[in-house]
Amino acid sequence: MTARSESDETMLDQALAWQAALERDDADWDGYMAWLEADPRHREAFDSVALVAAAVADHSGEIGNLLAAQTSAEQPRKRLSRAFAYVGGGLAAAIALMVAVPVLQPPPIQTYRADDGSSRSIALTNGIHVVLSPASAIDVHGGDASRIELVHGEAFFDVRHDPARSLTVSAGAYSISDIGTRFSVNRAGDDFRVGVSEGRISVGSDHVERDVEVSAGHQLIASGDGLTLSPIAAADVGSWRGGRLSYSNAPLGLVIADISRYSGKLVLIDPSLEKTHFSGTLVIGDGSKLLPDLATVMGLEVRAEGRGVRVGAAPSR
Amino acid sequence: MSPIDQDELEVAYGVHRSDLMRLLLARTGNREEAEDLLQELWLRVKQNPAGPVLNGRAYLFRMAQNLVIDRLREQQRRMQRERRWSDTTTDFAAAGVEPVDQRRSAEEAILDREEIAALTSAIANLPEGARRAFELHKIQGLSHVEVASILGISRSGVEKHMAVAMKYLRRALMD
Repeated sequence: MTARSESDETMLDQALAWQAALERDDADWDGYMAWLEADPRHREAFDSVALVAAAVADHSGEIGNLLAAQTSAEQPRKRLSRAFAYVGGGLAAAIALMVAVPVLQPPPIQTYRADDGSSRSIALTNGIHVVLSPASAIDVHGGDASRIELVHGEAFFDVRHDPARSLTVSAGAYSISDIGTRFSVNRAGDDFRVGVSEGRISVGSDHVERDVEVSAGHQLIASGDGLTLSPIAAADVGSWRGGRLSYSNAPLGLVIADISRYSGKLVLIDPSLEKTHFSGTLVIGDGSKLLPDLATVMGLEVRAEGRGVRVGAAPSR
Repeated sequence: MSPIDQDELEVAYGVHRSDLMRLLLARTGNREEAEDLLQELWLRVKQNPAGPVLNGRAYLFRMAQNLVIDRLREQQRRMQRERRWSDTTTDFAAAGVEPVDQRRSAEEAILDREEIAALTSAIANLPEGARRAFELHKIQGLSHVEVASILGISRSGVEKHMAVAMKYLRRALMD
């Protein structure tokens, strides 16, 4: 530990001590001011502590309810399992399901799907790890899993680099090759998105003359408008594994398809919105708030239609 | 010391004005902001009659301190919103179709839910003693003394638990 980080720690301790001391009726405000004036970094340390306390104070009611529900729901279990329960059903299920699938007599095509409401983690042969988003499916071809097809939904791939291997991941009209990396592929009808968080990949299609290289921190989106390569925060790639849907200029159709999968509800999109794009982050939770959140953020109208709902542009006033 | 009333609080403001300015300056590191906050403090003293106050100076210091933290929190939220949702990247914002207030409140709601989830998960993962002390004090609003008597530990024991909890939560919110 460096001297600087040691003193950061000391300042943090002092800030916490002052925070507690100031709660007293007979608080020593003069001592507190002298401490603040002694070093501008004291102010920063105090700010960081005060902001945490303010965040807790803002939400103490809801946090209290959640904690109470948690305690009564699972009394005797180990604390560890309670921790996972908080992360959300999807990730907890993913951890629980992280088991190797032995492929002894490989069938020509093996299908893996994740049910509604939970994601699924699959360890394939050759160091290929796949996390399937809820209501998604992949077909794995061949005993060596040399070709994987994303049938629908979204999948995150973590593939050990092996120059001797040839692996292709296809999604509709698009195929991804030259893989030794971590990336997330999403397919909804003809819309396609791949984001790379580590390494690089190459994407080919009948629609383009040459393959497109996509490196870490970039995404390639295909929609009615053709292919678009753009930067994306590496941490946002596959962020759904941690309970968030992150988009950067994604076609609304793709966003709506994701929401459909996560909410288990049929969501249709008005044709007038097909060229619309969305940037932002949605919190998955139990999936039920995704559509209302998106609708409010984007000013969309949601109305019931048949067995599902349809989103359209809100009438302008 | 006997309780003072509203007029006396205004007098106390006059008497301790320079001390309050000193606190605000030390708290913000910025003279303009400190002066602005001092002005806001005066308006609050005028507009929001306090109940009987025992110690006018401590009361005003606390008000000033809270003003600084409220403003910090607003800044933090605004930055979070700007980081997450850029107005120029959705076609609808450009077209000016959606009502700004409604959009903003939806964004706030999303940030709130996320913050609540992060905090709840961090609290649930605290060491047992720190978690109980934190819940009693910060969630249920009991004083340090009350928490100490419920847990059967000393007041400084409660403060130690609180420091552990706050450090843990600070880290959880930063990640």
